Amino acid sequence: MKKRKYLSVVVCALLATTALAQNKSALAPPPISPADKAAIQTFEKQVNDYINLRNKLRENAPKLSKDSTPEQIHAYRTALEQSLRSARANAKRGDLFRPETADYIRRTLKLEFQGKDRQQLRDTIFETETQGVVLRVNYPYAQTAEFSEMPATLLAKLPQLPKEVRYRFVGRNMLLVDRESNVIIDYMPDALP
Amino acid sequence: MRRNFLLALLISATLFLPAPAQQLNNAGVKTAPVKLTLPVKDGSVRFAVIGDTGSGTDKQRDVGTMMAQYRAVYPFEFVLMMGDNLYGGEAPKDFEKKFSEPYKALLDNKVKFYASLGNHDQALQVNYANFNMNGKEYYRFKKGNVAFYALNSNYMDKKQVEWLESELSKDTSDWKVCFFHHPPYSSAKKHGSDPQLREVVEPIFIKYGVNVVLTGHDHVYERIKPQKGIYYFVSGAGGQLRAGDVKETSALVEKSYDRDNHFMLFEVAGDQMYFQAISRTGETIDSGVIARVKH
Repeated sequence: MKKRKYLSVVVCALLATTALAQNKSALAPPPISPADKAAIQTFEKQVNDYINLRNKLRENAPKLSKDSTPEQIHAYRTALEQSLRSARANAKRGDLFRPETADYIRRTLKLEFQGKDRQQLRDTIFETETQGVVLRVNYPYAQTAEFSEMPATLLAKLPQLPKEVRYRFVGRNMLLVDRESNVIIDYMPDALP
Repeated sequence: MRRNFLLALLISATLFLPAPAQQLNNAGVKTAPVKLTLPVKDGSVRFAVIGDTGSGTDKQRDVGTMMAQYRAVYPFEFVLMMGDNLYGGEAPKDFEKKFSEPYKALLDNKVKFYASLGNHDQALQVNYANFNMNGKEYYRFKKGNVAFYALNSNYMDKKQVEWLESELSKDTSDWKVCFFHHPPYSSAKKHGSDPQLREVVEPIFIKYGVNVVLTGHDHVYERIKPQKGIYYFVSGAGGQLRAGDVKETSALVEKSYDRDNHFMLFEVAGDQMYFQAISRTGETIDSGVIARVKH
């Protein structure tokens, strides 16, 4: 009886260790060259510049507490969206996804999406109902459209983003979106292989 | 002779008695009487589960009405929401039509709702008072001996994974329940299992002894056969329905239901977790008990 209990503890420990080892490999980013590292740093700097601007604009928006009403949420979102669009009136595609960054991200996506087992991942992204989304920098992501799930295994490999911004897919295009206002900050056409 | 007469009198009287009022829901469909299978033990943790609710349809309101009827006999304290809380727009009138109004009876009785975000939900829902998310897309709260983890499966980034692992690693609660939108295991045809999400979260669930995982996204009910010691439920038909969507030949499913909308009730008493899944019309579609595995 004791022996059986001991055996089950060992099996459970092995199971957890194997699972965690698989988990670590699922989350490991691909090897990064010095040129990639420089591209990522430039991208992160551009993102931080955006965050600084949006957080400054946010101070002028109506305050939003964790106990807000729908009306307060609506007022905050509208004010933030309008001030962001006005402050970034000259923003254009490629401001943040510069060629070197786009190249690194495309290679990362290619690696993540290769193989037969990733077909379901592609299907999930392509079946997302994104009708109504206008692919245009400084325009809001349509509120009536759904968001594609960003694969957890992919997010672990892409350059990490602050909480204020999000990666999104619309078909094969990859977007960088403001989390609260849903304004499209930048996008990469045909990012998915 | 006299006995026969009395019997005849009784039968006649019964025939002419007015029939009890028929319960009809918003769609005019007859509903079944409330029939609770939970034990209602003293000091137990009692809650309900709904997923993919925010359609604002009569069917969502029917589910809300049925939940209120069950609460009269089973006073659950709070409701977990599996995401897709508001479909197709989030103007103030949408919050009213797709949330406040269908669950008015529960909200009036101070039942708390704890939401997670689905693929149709805007990030600012975290600030809505009645969703009790405290401004966070992922959060933990505790009731009795049960710890609840609301996760954002739309965007399971490194920060969230690290937070989850850190919180679970110090959690000494008897029961650990995670709830979020996308199901790591599902037999539905439309979406099905989410292997990428599973690859990342399942090892953490196993390592830190998560007991039960509640999800939505597929608009059906599924109780999955325990996977590596964890019980998974899909409850994604609180306001939407994809009739006939469960693969009948699936080896994953213990019990499924895809003919009508539903909600779930749970009761945790010591080392037992009782559950009951109830259809929009009040039929019990599944029930049972989960025994806690001590880690």
